[in-house]
Amino acid sequence: MNLRSLPATLLVLMALFATSCSKGTVYEEHVTLFKTGDRQEWAAKSLNDQGWNKYLATVEDGRVFWSRTKIDILKSPESLHPYGLQLEVYGEYEVFWDGVLIGKNGNPGQEAKLAPEGKLWATFSIPEHLTAEGEHVLAIRASLYYFPDHAGIWSLDIDHYDDLLTDRLIETSYMHIFAGAFLIISFYFLFLFMNNKNEYPTLIFSICCFLVFSLVLTVFSEYYFPIHYRYHVIRLQIISLFLLGISFLIPFYFSIQFPYPRLRLLLTLYAGVLIFIFFIKHHAFDFRAVGMVLSMWCFSFGVVSYGAYKKVRGARLVLVTLLLSMVIFMASGFVISLYTGLGLILIGMLYLLSLNIKAQRLAYENSLVQSTRLRLELLKKNIQPHFLLNTLTSLIDWVEESPKKGVLFIEALAKEFDLFNQIEDQTLIPVAQEIELCRTHLEIMEYRKEMRYYWEEEGIDPQQKIPPAILHTLLENGITHSLPREDNSIKFKLVYESDGKCKCYTFLTFAAGVRPGAGNKAEGTGLKYIRARLTESYHSRWDFTSKATPDGWENKIKVYC
Amino acid sequence: MNILIVEDEARIARRIERMAQDTFGNELDSLKHADSLPEALEFIKNNPLDLLLLDLNLNGDNGFDILGTAVSESFHTIIISAHKDQAIPAFEYGVLDFVPKPFNRERLEQAFNRAIAKEKTGTHHVKLLAIKKRGRIQLIRIEDLLYCKGAGAYTELHLADGTKELHDKSLEKLEQLLLHSFERIHKSYLVKMSEVTEIMVKPGSKYIAELKNGENIPIGRTKYKDLRGKWV
Repeated sequence: MNLRSLPATLLVLMALFATSCSKGTVYEEHVTLFKTGDRQEWAAKSLNDQGWNKYLATVEDGRVFWSRTKIDILKSPESLHPYGLQLEVYGEYEVFWDGVLIGKNGNPGQEAKLAPEGKLWATFSIPEHLTAEGEHVLAIRASLYYFPDHAGIWSLDIDHYDDLLTDRLIETSYMHIFAGAFLIISFYFLFLFMNNKNEYPTLIFSICCFLVFSLVLTVFSEYYFPIHYRYHVIRLQIISLFLLGISFLIPFYFSIQFPYPRLRLLLTLYAGVLIFIFFIKHHAFDFRAVGMVLSMWCFSFGVVSYGAYKKVRGARLVLVTLLLSMVIFMASGFVISLYTGLGLILIGMLYLLSLNIKAQRLAYENSLVQSTRLRLELLKKNIQPHFLLNTLTSLIDWVEESPKKGVLFIEALAKEFDLFNQIEDQTLIPVAQEIELCRTHLEIMEYRKEMRYYWEEEGIDPQQKIPPAILHTLLENGITHSLPREDNSIKFKLVYESDGKCKCYTFLTFAAGVRPGAGNKAEGTGLKYIRARLTESYHSRWDFTSKATPDGWENKIKVYC
Repeated sequence: MNILIVEDEARIARRIERMAQDTFGNELDSLKHADSLPEALEFIKNNPLDLLLLDLNLNGDNGFDILGTAVSESFHTIIISAHKDQAIPAFEYGVLDFVPKPFNRERLEQAFNRAIAKEKTGTHHVKLLAIKKRGRIQLIRIEDLLYCKGAGAYTELHLADGTKELHDKSLEKLEQLLLHSFERIHKSYLVKMSEVTEIMVKPGSKYIAELKNGENIPIGRTKYKDLRGKWV
């Protein structure tokens, strides 16, 4: 599945959602007036409410108060299509329309005694005969025990009752599809992370997606999930926390992808700014949300701009998505731009991850090629013409001159071939096997070079493993580049030392000196082979040095645990 | 006969030595074995030599580093190497023979015979001649060479641009190397036959070969018959 196409689909859905919510209104709302007390006649349409207040101060003790709002219906409903009334009002209340009770939300005046009842967002049907074109009165008899300073109608909508019920659900369903997509992406990348625990950007991206999913679900559940008004603050706190998490993680993710100087310090400062915004106006939720999201945008923009300036792959495209989200913010305000913007930014992050995954795949393919190449190199050691044909030429000579020695020579050669055969497709072999290979090689070279070769070892743990043929390569170099001592011999010594932190092999050559010019070839194919093998098995946890000593040559291979 | 063997494998060097002794017998004046390039170069500089037997891979050094120097000298060079893929470039440099390892007595003797000019079956095309000029080795392309003129132990190389260069090899030795396109038309001249436009007979039974650039080269009386058989 091509994950890049998924967010694109989401965008289209969001665009659909944005266009589906525009319709002409059927009413006009006038100022709401308040009065404390409880008289049933206050519901009447014809009541003279001149003594009522435009504002209501704190209502103590959950006492009952009334509010009256004049509403002009601009157009009568079609027959059998009654209007409905949708309210967001804090408190428990009864709703009167032109003096007629049309609905009840909890038990006004009895909140202290009874359990919380009712919901923050409620929809009521208005009888058809009361919605003729003209002036009407909406009266609410309410009490506000839990948030005494939140009296009033926070949102009001009049439309066809059916549409009131379904429109928001349709909107919610779009947003839930949007959220669901991020849930799936979140899981997908969480699993990717669980399979490769070093890939922290994958984890951060997964958490971001999950937070966006949770945010959308929490925000849009209000239309179908009844919440009593006393729990509303908790819900807003949760939303703020999600936003806080998103606002920190997105710039954090970009900081990992586009590293810049003083990264830790700047990130800590940024986290400080976010926490400051989070606590400065504890109950101003909208202020907090806008503040945190704008900070996130600014910090991310800075980080991604730096990445683009440094020409990091993918930075430019992410910069474009950031700019686009700002354009949407300017054009459409906070709510729409929050979700489209988050969608866009997450697409940018996803794009970066896909670049990472591609880079990793290429690196993996390269490592496969490298392993194959090393295997071939090992195979070639025994069939390369210089070794094989020189050996055969010497062999012919031995056979002609001393057939018995010739047979021994052939046996040594056969043994070396056999050993190479055994280690050919391995990346690590027991050091005992490697030493046997070296000894056999020296036997062959004694026949060829007519020289004495001595082999000594110290502290060897035969069970330890090393990459194949690296000591053999050092031995070959030692034979090729060393001048024999006075008694026409060269001695090799392998020393193994190990402490808790590292294992060290020291390969010493004792000779009369190094042949002129040998030092220049320090980075010959042999040493390249050794380095490549060490990298293959130990990544960067190794060290290799090679230098001349008064006695000959010293090679040190260190492997860190 | 003075021979230098450059070979880092003691056993193989001894084999070559033995075979050289068997082939040349009493004609052998000296036989030296060097197992590294610096040692070989030092020896070439200070000793008279008739034949160089060279391995192309010495202790990890590339024998081609010495080849340019070797082929510009007066003696012949025979390569004895495991790297058959280097045979063609070696021939282009102007070595007398390339003996691949592993070799047997017959093959090495054949190479020795070439060196003492018992055999003249050159099959490979020399493309370059190395000459020493102001202490450096300069490579001359055979296609730029018109003819060679013997000058004692040396040879004058006459080139297409009208210049002359001196080569340390004798005319006889160059004749062995340039067998495929050059003809010895006179005891002192070796001429590229594709350059000859006309063979003229001058009064007094003098034979002259005219080259494309108008130069006239004398043809030896005894060579004329061979030439007519081959070319006319």
